[in-house]
Amino acid sequence: MLELSGISASYGAIRALENVSLSVAAGRIVCLLGANGAGKTTTLNCISGVVPLTAGRIRFEGEDITGWPIDRIVARGIVQVPEGREIFPELTVADNLLLGTWLRRRKGGAARDFERIYNYFPRLRERARQPAGTLSGGEQQMLMIGRALMAQPKLLLLDEPSLGLSPLLVQQLFGIIARVHADGVPILLVEQNAAVALAASHHAYIIENGEIRLDGPARDLEQNEEVKAAYLGA
Amino acid sequence: MTLLILQAIASGVVTGCVYALIALSLVIVYKSTDVINFAGGEIVMIGGYAGMLALLYLGLPYILIFAFAAIATFALGALFDRIVLHKVLGRAVPGQSILVAMVIATVGLSYVLKGGVRVVPYTEEVRRLPPFFTGEPIFIGPVVVQRQDIAIIVVAVVVMAALWAFFSLTLTGKALRATSQNPRAAALVGIPVRRMRMTVWGIASALAAIAGVLLAPKLLMTPDMGVIVILAFAAAIIGGFASLPGCIIGGILLGVIQNIVGLYVGSNAISVAPFAVIMLILALRPQGLLGGRVAAKKV
Repeated sequence: MLELSGISASYGAIRALENVSLSVAAGRIVCLLGANGAGKTTTLNCISGVVPLTAGRIRFEGEDITGWPIDRIVARGIVQVPEGREIFPELTVADNLLLGTWLRRRKGGAARDFERIYNYFPRLRERARQPAGTLSGGEQQMLMIGRALMAQPKLLLLDEPSLGLSPLLVQQLFGIIARVHADGVPILLVEQNAAVALAASHHAYIIENGEIRLDGPARDLEQNEEVKAAYLGA
Repeated sequence: MTLLILQAIASGVVTGCVYALIALSLVIVYKSTDVINFAGGEIVMIGGYAGMLALLYLGLPYILIFAFAAIATFALGALFDRIVLHKVLGRAVPGQSILVAMVIATVGLSYVLKGGVRVVPYTEEVRRLPPFFTGEPIFIGPVVVQRQDIAIIVVAVVVMAALWAFFSLTLTGKALRATSQNPRAAALVGIPVRRMRMTVWGIASALAAIAGVLLAPKLLMTPDMGVIVILAFAAAIIGGFASLPGCIIGGILLGVIQNIVGLYVGSNAISVAPFAVIMLILALRPQGLLGGRVAAKKV
């Protein structure tokens, strides 16, 4: 459903991505693995329209979306959960979620979405009236995923959801990601935590210095000697 | 003597409400765009003259004069953002701050407005608008309050309440706050950040214009009346340049301080009072009276 063909991008004189091609099939979880600075986040930002391409095309559900502005891409159904704690700290948790519905605000139906999000993340229901800045790191991560789901995405882009979370929380979070996927949302996942990401994904790509080095079914990559040595610490 | 003090406080509250409106206009622009708007005072002035033209040419009643001035300056502020500030932003080099250029653009706007307004008839001589209400002043206990002053307070309170309701109850208001708290995250949920900035400039300009129409019957109108903005800066700084309730408290406090200074020190000292307040607050309590921490803005 999502297809990047030969995309490149750069920040000023620094080349960030070089001829990257990858695809996410409907109903899949695909992960993009790599070290810090390899180009993972840039790839997501190219898809979301935050970073302009210098070459290549991006197609979504057969439609060429190359060069579209961010809000149009979100409206088309690709929603990114950025890395870090990108919440609205002084708004309440409920208002943070509500703003996820911005682009379909005139269509209504937000109440049902709140119910759905609170089912995934009961903690958010308990804290609905608190300012989002008072949440713990793990809760803020859940809030960002919840906010993205409020937009009813057709494809979810997750940037380093495990960053800064305890192993127990990471496990919980990936349990929820699996549920979200089971409910019909395909996911493109960017991770440094290769072991967790490979276990959760169908297909994986490995990116190094802005280029795709390797790709294949996640099961196969878990057994690949090179991947084991470089990313799984074995 | 107590009566004099009470009287000074009462009239300080009236002017303070107007300072508060202008301070709100400055702070909402600063909070959502990081730009200090040095044309804030000139937009107050434009609001006053827009009100005057609406009265002279269209003969509108006061309620429509407020609406006319607010709509005209909303368009002015939004267009300035769209035409000038967006262009400046578009020239940003990654890693370099564009803020200085944007602030200078607002200084430019202040001169353009001051010069432009002199071309319009009626501005070569000093004028003032007729009072909103005439009639016997009202006694609150021993304190005498003009009907006009009560009208000023009522208008200011209504505008502040409307602003509060907009920012805390409507989805657009929440989206504006979200954009100012985290523009990156706002863009990623599909909020059009640029249009939000335009809206903020429009709302801020409308606030300043309403203050201008409120001042026009009280002060003498001249193209230079924008210097009043220094009082709003002082009010905003009392509130830490971040808090909207802080602006209101700061504005009223400043109005009262001015009158008390006038009473005890002399009327020559009145114009120094806001500067003294600015320096005192910055030296002793830069985060503003309402507390909180010194804001380290991430750029």
